Amino acid sequence: MSNIVNIVIDGKEVEAEKGAVLIDYLFKQDIDIPHFCYHPALGTDGNCRMCMVEIEGSKRPQISCDTPVKEGMVVRTQGENIEQVRRDILELELINHPVDCPTCDQAGECKLQDYYMAGGFYESRLEAESKVKAKKAVDLGKNVMLDQERCVLCTRCTRFTDEITHTNELGIFSRADHSVISTFPGQELESDYSMNIVDLCPVGALTSKDFRFNQRVWFLESFEAICSGCSKGCSIHVDHKKEKYKDDQIFRFRPREDHDVNGYFICDDGRLSYKDENDNRLNDASINQETVSTKEALTNIADVLTANPNDTLLLVSPFLSNEELALIKEYTLNNGTTLSGYSPQYYDESFADDMLRTSDRSPNRAGMMALRINENEKDFNELLSQKKVIVVIENSYFEDKAELFKDKKVILFSSKDTKVKEFANTVLPVASFLEKDGSYTNSESVTQHIKSGIRKNAPVGTLTSLWKAIESLSKEKA
Amino acid sequence: METKIVSKRFHIPESYKLEVAKKHGVYGSLEKLFTMTPDEVITAVEKSNLRGKGGGGASCGQKWRYMPLNDPRPAYLIVNADESEPGTFKDREVMDKDPHLLIEGIICSSYAMNIHTAYIYIRGEYKWLADRLNTAIDEAYEAGIIGETLMNGACDFKLDIVVHRGAGAYICGEKSALIESLEGKRGHPRLKPHQKECEWYFGDPATVNNVETIASVPEIVEFGYEAYTKHGTPKSPGTMLFALSGPVKNPGVYELAFGHKMIDVINTLGGGMKDGKKLKAVIPGGVSCPILTADEVNKAVLDYESMWDIGSTLGTGGMVIIDEDACMVEVAKNIIEFYHHESCGQCTPCREGTGWIDTILHKVIHQQGKLSDIDNISDVCGTLNGKTICVFAPAVADIIGSIVVKFRDEFETYILNNQGAEHE
Ligand SMILES: Cc1cc2nc3c(=O)[nH]c(=O)nc-3n(C[C@H](O)[C@H](O)[C@H](O)COP(=O)(O)O)c2cc1C
Ligand code: SF4
Ligand code: SF4
Ligand code: SF4
Ligand code: FES
Repeated sequence: MSNIVNIVIDGKEVEAEKGAVLIDYLFKQDIDIPHFCYHPALGTDGNCRMCMVEIEGSKRPQISCDTPVKEGMVVRTQGENIEQVRRDILELELINHPVDCPTCDQAGECKLQDYYMAGGFYESRLEAESKVKAKKAVDLGKNVMLDQERCVLCTRCTRFTDEITHTNELGIFSRADHSVISTFPGQELESDYSMNIVDLCPVGALTSKDFRFNQRVWFLESFEAICSGCSKGCSIHVDHKKEKYKDDQIFRFRPREDHDVNGYFICDDGRLSYKDENDNRLNDASINQETVSTKEALTNIADVLTANPNDTLLLVSPFLSNEELALIKEYTLNNGTTLSGYSPQYYDESFADDMLRTSDRSPNRAGMMALRINENEKDFNELLSQKKVIVVIENSYFEDKAELFKDKKVILFSSKDTKVKEFANTVLPVASFLEKDGSYTNSESVTQHIKSGIRKNAPVGTLTSLWKAIESLSKEKA
Repeated sequence: METKIVSKRFHIPESYKLEVAKKHGVYGSLEKLFTMTPDEVITAVEKSNLRGKGGGGASCGQKWRYMPLNDPRPAYLIVNADESEPGTFKDREVMDKDPHLLIEGIICSSYAMNIHTAYIYIRGEYKWLADRLNTAIDEAYEAGIIGETLMNGACDFKLDIVVHRGAGAYICGEKSALIESLEGKRGHPRLKPHQKECEWYFGDPATVNNVETIASVPEIVEFGYEAYTKHGTPKSPGTMLFALSGPVKNPGVYELAFGHKMIDVINTLGGGMKDGKKLKAVIPGGVSCPILTADEVNKAVLDYESMWDIGSTLGTGGMVIIDEDACMVEVAKNIIEFYHHESCGQCTPCREGTGWIDTILHKVIHQQGKLSDIDNISDVCGTLNGKTICVFAPAVADIIGSIVVKFRDEFETYILNNQGAEHE
């Protein structure tokens, strides 16, 4: 308890942790203190001077990002004096800023724009023609563009490449109001985590090549999910949008702060994997290459399964949720089919690193193992040679191995268009990873839940709903 | 009028050579030094009340006490020879005329703080002085004065001295920016620590001292603090190198005990104003201290306390003399150009504010000034003051703000007449 001290913030007595950074404490109290340079993942740098507060006993305003909490401290975040100080600093910040928000991709999620609107600065005392000009649209390499004119030189991006990735591609060049951010001569951004600087950048100076000018952020909706790019299962925000007369579409993934999993960041591959959700989808059910209705396909599958339970192998995958895997496993236990989770194709040693990325490019192997679903190679090969009916569920193992299907009856459940469908007798599209609810267990045994926010015009059934339909059709038959 | 302690060998031809300087007593303090404990040396420096000559004027001995005792890490002395402030050119005299005195001072100071590596960080443009220092250091190694032992084994104490040239940035004279630069990084001042402590060089304890400060130490070691405190005033004891520049008859560097009247120094050592012109103002302490009007100069006394009393500071002891012909708008423009060019650019107010003032004054000088510009400059000076990482920005506020306030009439006239009455 000795760690807890009493302080006063804007006249209110509160308890705080001794030695904590004051700005962190203010955030926790939902006091939105203006700031550019401070970021909890990068620590204090103290350059923007925006986070000033008054502290009783100090002659001058102090930056709250470099003020440790002390017993008896009396802090003022509001009031004429301190607000004037902030306005003065903001006014200087805006001197060389283009303030062309209508054409800026960051508009709507820009700190400078927020503070500028709140401060009510519509008239600068310096005419625009005397602004220091800098370069627009500089290609920094991997996935990121820089607009030097919009930069507020908070150094979050350089501190990220120095202290987080240790790749040191970025630096500040020149001095005073000619200072600019850039990559070092002959260098490009090459870290697999480069795009995090786009989120870190408080203004529109760093933008994602992939996302820039695609969408106005205020039109986007968002839900919380995890990335399925590897078994780390990083927490993300999914930004998507359903335009009138068009289908719901995902525009980007952003990292979601999660100290049990990924901290503040995600990798670029994971971030860009949103495209897999949009692209290359399987849309139509078919029987022997003829398009059929879902109902027909379901009946067909139910027929095949009830006719040959002992001759059927169900192949699931670590892309399925814990609930889906449990459902299929239960079916197997009740009906005498066999089950495998064999999926070596998701292993990729070259993908792993010492930050977040793992060598297993699937999100739920730990969940599959917890359900004791066998993924042994020998067992799988044995079953494959014995069983006549192979039901492939969201597992890409056969993608380049269709010859193994000779003399088999193949049923395919897939969210993606795949060559396998040409060799399958019955094909049924299912909802993709982010179109369904479910829980997943990552490589460190952390289980996370997704509640999907996607609303398709013609939603494809989830595996769970389809499987339940098959079960009840089977029961009708029996 | 002069009291020559640091400058005692400046007049001797070729005093930068070891054999010449030795004949005139250099390294004379070392025999006494080796009879003292390190703690006794620090105590002597504390009692001498030697104050830092780099502009801050802090007690040197007290600063040395921040070095952790019995610490397993290596410790460093970093001599600040970045001297880049306009109107300040005293350290170069020491390095030019008596580099062995600086080495002697480094030996005394390192011994006091148990330091075995000293760096001299010298501004990039002082190439010839870096050469001069290196020649002197080579002589000292060869003569066994420094190296594996001191004075050929007279003291079993290893000491290496390394000269490091900066790349030509004024801000690298600020001690923490200097250390960043010495570590191979961009010269950005660091945030001030929350308690009094030493500096840190790659995480190891370090002390940064000005060239002249270090060069003052041998006198205190050799003759005792009592001899040093006989000079000057009780609170500002000892001497300082004062650099006079501008339209006086004899500009140059003069070593004076503290406590002389500024006007006497200008008229006596400086030989008075050139061409019979009238004195208009003096910027003391390089160009980073509030300007003094002719009236104030008549009252000014050259010690720390007296200068504070009249609302300025002693700074580095430079005095930039300005005569009646100078246009204060142009003086301000000249100074702000320097600061605009040299701001490291970290802190928003300093990065943008120096440029804004420069832009406003540019407009004024190009006949586009408005009377409201004067208040705008004062406002920006207010934002520069006390809201930044280092004291560069407050210094800009001090000098520019004081010129605008004390010579406001001249700014108004200049703007109203478009070209200014005093402007040809
Ligand atoms: C902008 C700025 C520039 C400075 N330049 C110098 C310099 O060139 N030489 C110097 O000795 N001190 C300079 N200083 C002061 C140093 O930070 C430091 O206080 C000094 O070197 C300490 O030595 P001293 O205690 O012996 O004076 C500068 C300070 C600032 C804020
Ligand atoms: S580019 Fe963005 S993150 Fe980098 S310094 Fe500029 S404003 Fe900060
Ligand atoms: S580390 Fe793995 S889970 Fe995290 S973002 Fe990258 S691919 Fe996705
Ligand atoms: S006050 Fe100016 S020179 Fe000092 S750290 Fe800030 S920007 Fe750099
Ligand atoms: S957030 Fe505190 S100075 Fe930038």
